Parts: sequence; structure tokens; C-alpha cells
Amino acid sequence: MTLSNPELDGIETLAGTYPFDLRICNRTLNFNRFFWNMIRVENREAFWSDEEAAMSAAGLKEEEKALVRARDWLGIVQYGVNFFVLEKWARVVKKSNLEVYAIMRGETFEAFLSTRRVPESR
Amino acid sequence: MARIIGGIGASHVPTIGLAYDRGRQADPAWAPLFDGYKPVAAWLAAEKPDVLLFFYNDHATTLFFDCYPTFALGVGERFPIADEGAGPRGLPDIRGDVDLQAHVGECLVNEEFDLTFLQNKPIDHGVASPLPLLWPHTPDWPGVVVPIAINVLQYPLPTARRCYRLGQAVRRAIESYPKDLKVVVVGTGGLSHQIHGERTGFNNTDWDLEFLELFKSEPERLAAMRHADYVRLGGAESVEQIMWLAMRGALDPEITELHRAYYLATTTAMTVTLYANEANAIPLAARTVEAA
Repeated sequence: MTLSNPELDGIETLAGTYPFDLRICNRTLNFNRFFWNMIRVENREAFWSDEEAAMSAAGLKEEEKALVRARDWLGIVQYGVNFFVLEKWARVVKKSNLEVYAIMRGETFEAFLSTRRVPESR
Repeated sequence: MARIIGGIGASHVPTIGLAYDRGRQADPAWAPLFDGYKPVAAWLAAEKPDVLLFFYNDHATTLFFDCYPTFALGVGERFPIADEGAGPRGLPDIRGDVDLQAHVGECLVNEEFDLTFLQNKPIDHGVASPLPLLWPHTPDWPGVVVPIAINVLQYPLPTARRCYRLGQAVRRAIESYPKDLKVVVVGTGGLSHQIHGERTGFNNTDWDLEFLELFKSEPERLAAMRHADYVRLGGAESVEQIMWLAMRGALDPEITELHRAYYLATTTAMTVTLYANEANAIPLAARTVEAA
């Protein structure tokens, strides 16, 4: 990855942060679109009825399909998917954002909530 | 002549919309958030602005990354509230004013802000999360929205300074509109949060409070900051606070903070603030005339 944007100088020192830029997005555009498409009910229903067929119809690569099958939320982000399309798919597989956050941190949901000020607002 | 009477800073966490729709306003875990908006809603009910001009971002909902504008102005008499994967919300379409939106668009383009125009497009939680906490919606919204979307998702983003200047240009656009309209500018997003990667859950209350002080008295310092500075200090997604700077640019150099509520419950420092212009709504042009 080349980061040539001076606005982002130093961002590579922040562990666990994956800046989403044009280079990354262009490489992962189709995978991002797969998640974005979940804003339409017909795509949600296609995914619910046959995940494999939905992924193939969307033209996902084998590596991408494996990430979806594994529900590898962190892996998907590291691969280059923007969280804001990923959260649309989270609704489809009935995960709350807080549950996804815990997974990305490598924590159980309960352990993650215990680090929050008002866990009852889940 | 239209004039800007004040500004609002408001988080746009989607969970606020979810809690609102589920009627959790009195739930002890959510009451501090909803109560924090009440003084702002009361001020709006008393001041009765005709227009809320929003600086917000689309969360790759209406717009996908294959065609993702840096700045985009919504034009339409009605904007549906977007389905973001969980189905539609029970809110009326957002109201618009095409003549005003077109005027703002013309002024901004003539000032070399080369906008994209979005006509009658759905609007997501960037506006729809805070809007029902600010304005009632039964039977309909009491005023119109001018929505200006800013890219805070796909780098390169506009700089903080560019957003600040956009706000200054928006002010000139509003004040050159001949109808006698009262306008409130709203900047949404923030404050500290990160919601991707292993650094998810990062917050920085010290920085949030410093941001709010600088926002009031030294916005130039915030305009000079780089995106990486925002990401380091407030978490990756807090870079969206550059949208607050657009709102700040549309206000007077001197502003009064009328209200502030800050509630960090889980992952986002949910904040709502209300600012009044120094001269409470006397347009800059009119004051120049008086001074002369």
C-alpha cells in the first residue's frame, strides 16, 4: 500500500486502524458493493435464501467468500471493506454494531460491555 | 433576506435512531442522551426557524464508493429516509425547498465549490438520526432541510479548512437569498469514536472537551489540523468532526454556547451543542451597512 496523502502522514503508526482510501477501495470495490447491496430487500432475501448463490452471483472471489462464510468481521475490514457498508450486512445477519465491535477487538461481548461506561445502553 | 440565527452540533449515531424508534426515551441508559436534546428542541420550537441546513455525511447508503462526491447538495421537495439494511423507519419524508436549495447551489458553485447535486435522493442516519430529536414530525416536519453531504469516508477527504471555508460560503449564500427565512446550521457526527479494526472502542474525553472549547473560541486551530490528527486524537471515525467545522464557518467569529450535553455510553461520545450568533441573527451585510 502506498500512502502519499500528507493529510494522513503518521496514521500508519496507529495500530488497529485501517484508513480507507481510493487505492484500497478500487481493489475491493466489488466486495464493498456486495455489502452495500444489502440496503435493498431483494438482496437481503437472496442472501437469506442461499448465501453461496448470492456470493457467486455477486462475483466474489474465493478469498472473499471465505471471509463471509467465517463471519470474519475483522478480516473483512483488514481486507479493505469500509465499516459503513459492513454494518448493512450486520443487520442482515442480525448482529448489532456492539457485537461486531467486540469481535473486532477480539473480546467476548460481555467482556467488551464491561469496558463501557453504560453497558445497559446496548 | 434569509439569515442564520444559530448552529447545532449533533452526533448522528444510528443507535440513537434505533432507541428513538423503540421508545427508549425514558430508559435510564438512554435518558441522558434524549434529555440532552430537549433544550435544543425547545429552542427550535421557540425560535421557529424555517430551515435547518445540515452538513452531514452519507454512510455509503445513497451513494456508493464508485461515485462518491466530496461535497454534494440535496435538491428536492421531499427526501425519503433511507433503508440501511434493517428496513424503513416510521418517519415522514424530509421536506425540502427547491428554490432555496438551488440558490445555495448556484452561490456555492459560483464561489468555486464545485458541488455534486443529488435530486430527491434518500437521506440516511447522517441526518435522520438527530432530526427527530430536534424537530417534531407529526403530522409532518415543521420546516425544510438543506442537506449538504461531505465525504468523510473515502480518503482523500476535503481538509478541515476546506470544510470551514465551505461553511463561510454557505453563510454568504443564505444571506443573499431574498426571502425572509430563519436558518439554523447543523453539523453532525462525532465526537470521539472508532468503530473499525482492533482500535474499535477508542474514546478520548479530554480531547472531546478541548475540541468543544477550541470550536467556540479558536476554530482556526481546528481548521489547521490534519485528518491524521483527528484520527489519532479522537479515533478514526471522529474525523467526521470536520463537518462541525463547516457549521462553525457559517456562524459569527464570536458565538455563545447556549447548551451542551455530552454522553459517552458505549463507543461514541454522543454530544449535542447549541450556539447563538454574536449579534443573534443580524446578517453580516446589514451590519456592514450600519457601520458605514
